Amino acid sequence: MNEENYIAFESYLNNEMSSDEKIIFEEKLQNDSQFKANFNLYKETTSFIENKFDFKTIDFKENLKSISESHFSEILPSSKRQVKSKVIQFKPWYYAVAASVAILFGTWFFMQNSIPQYEDYNQHENANLVERGSVIKNLKAAQDAFNAKNYKVAIQNFEIVLKEYDKPEVRYFYAISLLENNQYTDAESTFTKLQSGTSIYKDKATWNLALSKLKQKQFEECKNYIKQLPEDAEDYAKAQKLLSNLD
Amino acid sequence: MADKKLHLDQMYIDGLVQNNSNIIQSIYKKFVPKVKNYIRTNSGDDDQAQDIIQEVLITIYNQAKTNGLQLTCPFDAYFFLLCKRRWLNELKKSSNKEVTLQDDTVSIDEPIQEMAFQTEIFDEKQSLFDEMFQKLGEKCQEILKLSFVTKTMEEVAEKLNVTYGYVRKKKSLCTGQLTEMIQQSPRFRSINY
Repeated sequence: MNEENYIAFESYLNNEMSSDEKIIFEEKLQNDSQFKANFNLYKETTSFIENKFDFKTIDFKENLKSISESHFSEILPSSKRQVKSKVIQFKPWYYAVAASVAILFGTWFFMQNSIPQYEDYNQHENANLVERGSVIKNLKAAQDAFNAKNYKVAIQNFEIVLKEYDKPEVRYFYAISLLENNQYTDAESTFTKLQSGTSIYKDKATWNLALSKLKQKQFEECKNYIKQLPEDAEDYAKAQKLLSNLD
Repeated sequence: MADKKLHLDQMYIDGLVQNNSNIIQSIYKKFVPKVKNYIRTNSGDDDQAQDIIQEVLITIYNQAKTNGLQLTCPFDAYFFLLCKRRWLNELKKSSNKEVTLQDDTVSIDEPIQEMAFQTEIFDEKQSLFDEMFQKLGEKCQEILKLSFVTKTMEEVAEKLNVTYGYVRKKKSLCTGQLTEMIQQSPRFRSINY
């Protein structure tokens, strides 16, 4: 490695050379093509790094993503509407089919009602992880995706965040995203670790383990987790209600 | 290329660099439907179109910001060509799948080809750079990152609990090491530097 050259490149780019040094440097740039090529690559590499970590680039990517998502989600409903507006000739026997479908659905709903559903309990709090001026890569993207219930995107971003910023609060929201995305094994192992830790997410992890079992309709395991919740846990009342519905 | 006349559509490039939501939205409104339609009729779906379009816009942004990008042709044609070629590459990668292509026989102007070509070369460089940066030692990655997200090198030195002189030297050596890794990569030769 040519250390001297790199140090010279850096001070030239930062305009920190004396005028004599500058003249010698620029002469070398003109006469030594290899030196020049190395310098150009150094300069280009510097601007790559600069752009990579520029918060404006991170902001741009997030803004682009949200514009893209709203553009593509607007398109979908309208194309469905077009399909619906096609005129369909209605034949009498359709009534019979419609009626039986309605009865089937009715019965199904009635039966569903008696068993508690994961969806009755999964009102997750919003993630609020980003502090002003924070430069942790992808944390804001993860948080925004999570709060927008876009769990797949949240998972991808949380995984990047966790590589360099492994904190219980990040793990907690990551695990909820996994649970929402039906990745039960990963979600439960993350919650179990939080449960055995000392963070404020300890009891919340227990409650979410119960919810995970509920979602998989493993009701006995669900009850076992609820029974582990201490009385002063934030979700204690909700949990007791679920427990009585399960019995 | 500096002597060629700048196209009025340069406003879209500038809008991307400035992260101007109105302009980004108008790109989606005016130019994206055509791309989407192309990908849909060529073995793709909306999700894939969404990804391709985002990747292309990020590439344009990166090029404009890192190297400067002077548009000498209509944005529509340039953007469409980039998306199309990126999608065809994507299809090639997974070419064990049966692919039906609808080739549009519209001839493409030379300046548009040239613009798109420059952007693709840039994208190759960017991805080589990203790959090599990940391979750089942890300490170097940290110093380089900090030296760009922190206002002054004095603050970086303070954060890392080392002297200012050490940080300065380390930054240039790490950047130098990165350039050597880039040069030694077999991919470097295939990119026309």
